[in-house]
Amino acid sequence: MQTWDQIINTALLGTDKRPLAASDLPTELGEAAAVIQHHTTDKEEQFLQTAALVFNYRQCGVQPLKKEGVTIDKAAAEEKQYCSVLAMHTLKDILDSESNSLLQFWLQQCNEKSRIVTPDLVPLLLDIGVQQKKLQNAVVACCGKRGEWLSRFNNEWNFSTASTNEELWQTGSPEQRKMVLEQLRKDDAAAARGWVQQTWQQEDVNMKIELLLLLAINIGSADIEFLESLAKEKSKKVKDIAWWLLKQIPEAPLVQQYQQVLQRSVTVGKKGLQVQLPADIDEAIFKTGIEKLSNNKEYTDEEFIVMQLMQAAPPSFWETQLQSTPDVIIKAWQKDVTGKKLLPALVQAVVAFKDQRWATAFMQNSHVFYIDIIPLLPVKEQEHYSIKFIAQFADNIIEHAIKREDTWSIDLARAIFIHTAKSIYQYNRSFYSRYIHCIPVGIVTELYKCAPAEDHLKATWNNTSEYITKLINLKKQTIQSFND
Amino acid sequence: MQLSEEQVFALAPDESSKKSGRELANPAKWVSKGVNELALWGECQGSGSKPYQAQVDLVNIAFKCSCPSRKFPCKHGIGLLLLYARNKADFTNRDMPAWVAEWISKRSERQEKQATQKEKPVDEAAQAKRRQAREQKVSDGIEELLQWVKDIIRNGIISIPEKGSAWFGNMARRMVDAQAPGLAGMIRNLSEINFYRDGWQTEFMDQLLRLYLVTTGFKNNDTLPPLLQQDLRTWIGFTQNQEELKEQSGITDTWLVLGKQVTEDDNLTVERNWLYGVGSDQYALVLQFMVRGQGAQLAFTPGLFIQAELVFYPSVLPLRAIVKKQLNTEKVQQYKGFANWQQVAEAETSYSSTLPFRSERPFIIEQVRPVYYDQQWWLQDNNNALMGIKSGFKSIWKLLSLSGGEALNMAVVGKENVYEPFGVWYQQEYKIL
Repeated sequence: MQTWDQIINTALLGTDKRPLAASDLPTELGEAAAVIQHHTTDKEEQFLQTAALVFNYRQCGVQPLKKEGVTIDKAAAEEKQYCSVLAMHTLKDILDSESNSLLQFWLQQCNEKSRIVTPDLVPLLLDIGVQQKKLQNAVVACCGKRGEWLSRFNNEWNFSTASTNEELWQTGSPEQRKMVLEQLRKDDAAAARGWVQQTWQQEDVNMKIELLLLLAINIGSADIEFLESLAKEKSKKVKDIAWWLLKQIPEAPLVQQYQQVLQRSVTVGKKGLQVQLPADIDEAIFKTGIEKLSNNKEYTDEEFIVMQLMQAAPPSFWETQLQSTPDVIIKAWQKDVTGKKLLPALVQAVVAFKDQRWATAFMQNSHVFYIDIIPLLPVKEQEHYSIKFIAQFADNIIEHAIKREDTWSIDLARAIFIHTAKSIYQYNRSFYSRYIHCIPVGIVTELYKCAPAEDHLKATWNNTSEYITKLINLKKQTIQSFND
Repeated sequence: MQLSEEQVFALAPDESSKKSGRELANPAKWVSKGVNELALWGECQGSGSKPYQAQVDLVNIAFKCSCPSRKFPCKHGIGLLLLYARNKADFTNRDMPAWVAEWISKRSERQEKQATQKEKPVDEAAQAKRRQAREQKVSDGIEELLQWVKDIIRNGIISIPEKGSAWFGNMARRMVDAQAPGLAGMIRNLSEINFYRDGWQTEFMDQLLRLYLVTTGFKNNDTLPPLLQQDLRTWIGFTQNQEELKEQSGITDTWLVLGKQVTEDDNLTVERNWLYGVGSDQYALVLQFMVRGQGAQLAFTPGLFIQAELVFYPSVLPLRAIVKKQLNTEKVQQYKGFANWQQVAEAETSYSSTLPFRSERPFIIEQVRPVYYDQQWWLQDNNNALMGIKSGFKSIWKLLSLSGGEALNMAVVGKENVYEPFGVWYQQEYKIL
């Protein structure tokens, strides 16, 4: 409104510098303005009265803005059903509990049952997706068409616009791309490698490293050609990872070459296991990440080189080389001075080549507990050995257990809690909150059995138990709300 | 009583009460529980040997609990209401235990007593003398204030942003001394304007002119109609005796609580409850002041329908009211809003012409949708007319998500061409924003 602008201009500079002119006012106010002029000669008074008049003239005359063509697209109709009222209540309680693990569990259940959240919670979940990149895909799925529509208005939520995995790979955030690649690598290793090869030249070094690490999943002979081509990469780190991956493929020429050297270097003589590198050893192997000098005074340089080669040779190689079974070889090496030294390298080979047969043999025959072998065992055996050795290696066993994606047995959960209840600073509430997805619902009735003997710890455990119970109840409620 | 979970949370005094209340909304925590048309009650097992007795008066929405908490309602009250909102079917007991029956009957006795209580005879001569002395003080203060306003206008407001809050604070204190707390508040509002924001000049001038209108209006009090005189006195800061007000007859209606705005200043919490009378088509503002630690008289939550008698403060444009009698809470009822922005604008014209220095008012407007245009969010009606959404409106995403591009019936509060949404009707349910 032009008249109001004149009022503001005069007010800004002051009546001393810029008096308001009668021509500044609309004709409708002329009569009232004349009355004001007539009644007072005080400049400020005249201005204030006139301004008050214009102020009310302005506010009385306000009209909505008439603007054609301002539109908003309507959100597409939802294809999935909304969650039940109970599921929505549970979600609100979980958001309140601030447990991301529970939230992830809830979102997974929601997604598996093809349900979506009601629109009032969509912005909140999208905001969580901005912070918790790992939850982004699940959030997108649970926010349905409304989430997709809403994210068009807020750039921060643009992670939710891609609908297919392929689109996410092409246009998603680094975290989303890694997630879809990881999934595809599990389902179709060749297709995943194809994705990586397609975009390889456009990736930066850090992304290349991240993507290569994911290729460790389901690695196989079909990956050899691509991995060997990376020998020309500029980044040493990228090359090292490529070598590391190649060393996990039994058919890789590199691994074959290592085996040939090992064949001639490790022999069984009268004095037991002998280690001696052939005089004509191919120097090329030292360009594949094999160090010449020992970094451990307990190993000679020769032993050190052999150990590095052993780590990249499939354990089955030794069955052929020594014409024996895993059980016999392990037992014999444990008694042999050199064999004892070489055993850790053999364990690493078992881990690298994920050899379950050798893993079981190690657990059955070894006096030493190898935590790295645990994940290779069938779940039942993993739990058996974890419980057996938890008193000595609690932290290592827990570290492995929390990497699992499935739920622990009640026996394992009990064994773990007996330890964690005693280490209240290391295993505080956030530990239980973070790994609630692993904790079985049935443990709730056994929590009192995990209480430490010491009185001061007992009180803390009681509080922690209450907290765990609350989390478990939410987990139980989540399961129930999606099963009804 | 049909309180949704959201409405129960709106009653909570703070975030931690919401959190604790949520934890208590667990049937395992409650030793006993029951409900009838008068009350909702339950015994909650706490850390002590005896369970806490929590009870809610459903007629007049009031809480009582035997726990030592100073919060109001306490976490047990929130937990109980929440549990009821979630599992109504579990509340099978309808017979009030003695501790509930006693409290309920005491409350109704007290209300009756209050109604019949007569004020002590007052010394009218002394009262008149006091009134005269105060009016003199106020008039003296107003003269000083007018001089201050004129100085601002003479020198120009361009240098105002540099003045700092102490400069305004001095004049506000002077108005407190002059027993004109309303004017002091208006001056404090001037100092709280964000001078870094575009358009501060208009905001400043609007407030300054309101101040000018109120003060000069008061100077010319004798020439004005009695109701307008009352408005001016209210704005200056003369209080209205609430007991006297309650003696007048009010409007008995079913009132829908549209929104609740809570502000805290030092130890004082101010609750602004915006109401709409379904039958009278009248909007009301019920203020509630609470000193820290003190319980609230009223427990209104947005979306609640209350049958009550409200008495409005005398005004040419009645808005502020007090609750004389709360009769019951009601189930969802029909309401009638403004059909479009043109109707709202016409109502605004009428309000402003009646009371030029008035503040914002609530409106129910039917079928509007949020749209983005010219770098800001607007509310668009079915005639493509737009009104701006208040900048910094926090729940824009929730509003947008509920709308999904469709028009919704909405409760807003605002003035001229800027409005802030309070809540929307989404699938027949009132959702707080």
